[in-house]
Amino acid sequence: MRRLTVTPRTDWQTRVERIGLTYHTLEDGTPYWDETVYWEFSSFEIDRLEAATAEIQRLALAAGDAILDQDRLSQMGIPAAAAPAIRAAWNAEPPALYGRLDLAYDGTTIKLLEYNADTPTGLVEAAVAQWYWLQDCFPDADQFNSLHEKLIAKWKDLKDYVTTPVYFANAGSDEDHMTASYLRDTAEQAGLRTRHIAMSEIGWDSGHSRFVDLDNHAIQTLFKLYPWEWMLSEPFGANALSTLPPASPLQQYGPRKDRRSWGSMLWIEPIWKMMWSNKALLAILWELNPGHELLLPAYLDGPRELSSYVRKPLLGREGAGIAVVKDGVAVEGSLTGESAQGYVYQALASMGTAAGKTAVFGSWLVDGEPAGMGIRESSGLITNNTSRFVPHLFR
Amino acid sequence: MRKSKEVQLTLLAAMALSMTACREPHRDCVDSQNHLLPDTGCQAGWGGAHYLYGGSSGGHIGDAVMGGSTSVSRGGFGGIGGGDGGGGE
Repeated sequence: MRRLTVTPRTDWQTRVERIGLTYHTLEDGTPYWDETVYWEFSSFEIDRLEAATAEIQRLALAAGDAILDQDRLSQMGIPAAAAPAIRAAWNAEPPALYGRLDLAYDGTTIKLLEYNADTPTGLVEAAVAQWYWLQDCFPDADQFNSLHEKLIAKWKDLKDYVTTPVYFANAGSDEDHMTASYLRDTAEQAGLRTRHIAMSEIGWDSGHSRFVDLDNHAIQTLFKLYPWEWMLSEPFGANALSTLPPASPLQQYGPRKDRRSWGSMLWIEPIWKMMWSNKALLAILWELNPGHELLLPAYLDGPRELSSYVRKPLLGREGAGIAVVKDGVAVEGSLTGESAQGYVYQALASMGTAAGKTAVFGSWLVDGEPAGMGIRESSGLITNNTSRFVPHLFR
Repeated sequence: MRKSKEVQLTLLAAMALSMTACREPHRDCVDSQNHLLPDTGCQAGWGGAHYLYGGSSGGHIGDAVMGGSTSVSRGGFGGIGGGDGGGGE
């Protein structure tokens, strides 16, 4: 693989805005979407990344079973009140749409850095913006990116199981709003009726024990780009749990009257994703698969034998609270401060680097299958909300 | 080929053009008898003052507000991610 420079399209801002990437420039005026460079891979390298993604997904599925069999949710800092709903959802298998594995890849070894399983973003960039960039700049090349058609296919699969309209909710940033809007677009293209609602606008109808929209109509299927751990710590958290088995009675969905017990309201992503989006998963994966070629040594009780490692809060987001330690010395971030849920200590990975930048390879899954890749570059080792997105291709 | 054959957008493109603000829910500040109060009554926490969603009235202070649902409360989600934080990662 190699990182190459290229002349950006003269009107790139207009082009990416037109397709939904309205947040292409950072607050300091530097580009977030950076098409002055791109990464080029061989077909063999993409095969390896795709196979690694599928293998890690297999390991994560086994880890989910182990977490529940061994009653390890409390060790992960997951509230006890959520445990019955997580267990029930894991067994009932309500629909799960998508996720993103962040991988370290130096051209030789591939290692899992973390699994963004509940609220991954960077999707408009990966699925849409870099696809259009490829069409404009390298139409004969290929790209690891079938996200768009896989998302539409997944919604089509769900057509008989969900109640419409399917609501799409988010809070805060433009990026989240456009991500939710893009997913809504894919659902519409699959033939589903959709509506948007802000997380703060969702109402709780205590008379009917259900969530409602602004017209007080029941919300029965909700895609929420909002972390489960945040929802559960907010005033409606207990209400959310009340819509899920085992608290909620068995419900039937859609014209096929599917009998699986998904609760009175279908939440996408399902609540069991709390197990995978929690960074304790990294230590549990290593414990279950010590020495696995795609995993880094990771521990919950301290760095143990590691002299160079990354300390991550179990529920950290966008690089917050992460410290990088090399030979016992913190070289990025800080080891001071405490995380209420604790930390995972993960061995430092060999990263893909070029021109002073460190790349993280975000490998997407749709319906549990590898579906594409997006690359983020940082000046340091920590990927955060200022890390640039750069497109890729392969030949 | 592993790239999507087509990436056609309908809704997202329109959203990008408009980026309109989210619709505010209609709500009235009312007293314990569901008579219309100024919004400041609810903001200041006057006794019995509360919001009623989806109701209608003549719009004058003291008017009876009809048809709203007092059993619906809002704002119980979104507090943590309400700023620029969002919730995506």
